[in-house]
Amino acid sequence: MIEVARLTKRYGRKLAVDDVGFTVRPGRVTGFLGPNGAGKSTTLRLLLGLDHPDGGTALIGGRRYRDLRHPLRTVGALLDGAGPVPERRGVDHLAWIAQSNRIPRRRVREVLDLVGLTGAAGQRVKGYSLGMGQRLGIAAALLGDPEVLVLDEPVNGLDPDGIRWVRDLLREYAASGRTVLLSSHLMAETAGTADDAIVIAGGRIVAHGSLDDISAGHESLESAFFALTGDRRGLGGRGGRGGRGEW
Amino acid sequence: MVRDLAAATRAELGKVVTLRAVWLISGAVVGLHVLLGLQNLDAETEAVREITADGMIERFPGIVRPAREALVEYLAASSFQMCLFLPCVAAVVAGQEFRAGQLGTSLLAVPRRGLLAGAKVLAVGGFLLFVSIVIAAISTAFVYLSIKDWNPGLPVSAEAWTAQVKFLAYAVLSGLTTFAITMIARSTLIGILVTVALTVLTMSQILAVFTPALDALVPLSAGRNLILVPDESLRLSAGPGHAMVVLVTWPLLATAVAATALCRRDAR
Repeated sequence: MIEVARLTKRYGRKLAVDDVGFTVRPGRVTGFLGPNGAGKSTTLRLLLGLDHPDGGTALIGGRRYRDLRHPLRTVGALLDGAGPVPERRGVDHLAWIAQSNRIPRRRVREVLDLVGLTGAAGQRVKGYSLGMGQRLGIAAALLGDPEVLVLDEPVNGLDPDGIRWVRDLLREYAASGRTVLLSSHLMAETAGTADDAIVIAGGRIVAHGSLDDISAGHESLESAFFALTGDRRGLGGRGGRGGRGEW
Repeated sequence: MVRDLAAATRAELGKVVTLRAVWLISGAVVGLHVLLGLQNLDAETEAVREITADGMIERFPGIVRPAREALVEYLAASSFQMCLFLPCVAAVVAGQEFRAGQLGTSLLAVPRRGLLAGAKVLAVGGFLLFVSIVIAAISTAFVYLSIKDWNPGLPVSAEAWTAQVKFLAYAVLSGLTTFAITMIARSTLIGILVTVALTVLTMSQILAVFTPALDALVPLSAGRNLILVPDESLRLSAGPGHAMVVLVTWPLLATAVAATALCRRDAR
């Protein structure tokens, strides 16, 4: 369970996150939607203790992330702007992360296998494609076999096979009673994966509920998103598309 | 807590040893040390061969000193000149955190920032100690080759061990100072530039000439004051006790500031 209450963050004069509150329940995939710059990544960084909030709380299983003793065994995260050093080999990147949380070394091989990077494990990360980099990030998130997954734009750079793999992985994860928070600005991806959604715009939560509730009265989740965020740029060309499972 | 610190330190050490730049710089330092040792070997052997009956040596033209004291000093001083480059290793290790969002990954793995800072210091200190021991061992080997016909036991004498320990202390403490400065600046380049500026302050002798008391506070000067023995041709700006205090204070203060900055700043 993720509980965020009255979370606020300023960068200088800019209010990036304004009194944000939501709950993410176990056994469900929750989409975290918003246009670029809406405050998604900042909220996730606050949740995971990378940035300091100016107010409010963000708890995972009732505790702040930084209070978790072996955090990766509880929470697996993939964040934009939290990546490997390009000169390090993929396997070495995962190995030090595993060591830090006392995760057995064999788990590194397991997750590499799981994300399909076994053959590239010995390559330096700078030689990875965007999709391989994403797979490495997902592998790092899965290292501790965590109860909670927090993924920021996990399908960026993935090919269709990879996207389907991530979707299935998240669905299976939630089906096993675990918690998944999936940040995205891709409506169709979210519609195809999530049970619930939180919509953020201008640093404030504008909708929070089941996907069906949020989409109610709209043609699709995408239409609902644009109506909620006040961003109508995409309505003309894409208003008729969307819906669960479509791209 | 101790087990968590041990795990985090192992992870940090894993980061250090899997970074190619670290091995390239360390290898270059060690290689240069071997090269200079080979280059000086004949001259040192010749100087040892001409040690007088009353135990005096002339390693540099016109400077005659007690051989035992001069050769022990040479043992540490030859390592000392090499470890001028070691802070670069520390800067690269610290600076990696601020590339490609590595710090974010580090904090996801070890979110207790004080623990992370402590683990980093232990890991970098340990690696610097390892490289310094290699440098000291090479110095010992070359000194032994020079003096084996005169006093083969000198490199393992009490004075020699004391000199080596002083060198190791300087090498690790000066490296940790650069490490902390780089963490504060969040830039490898700035960490190296600040270290070079501090080195220039000592090498230029400007402070030593005009304000020796200030000179004694600079890390490299403190290293020199700790390791070298004063004589007519070499005046030091402070004694070894003062030097040790300076060398401990620099990394302590810099690390405290770096740890505070790590705790208070957002991981960007």
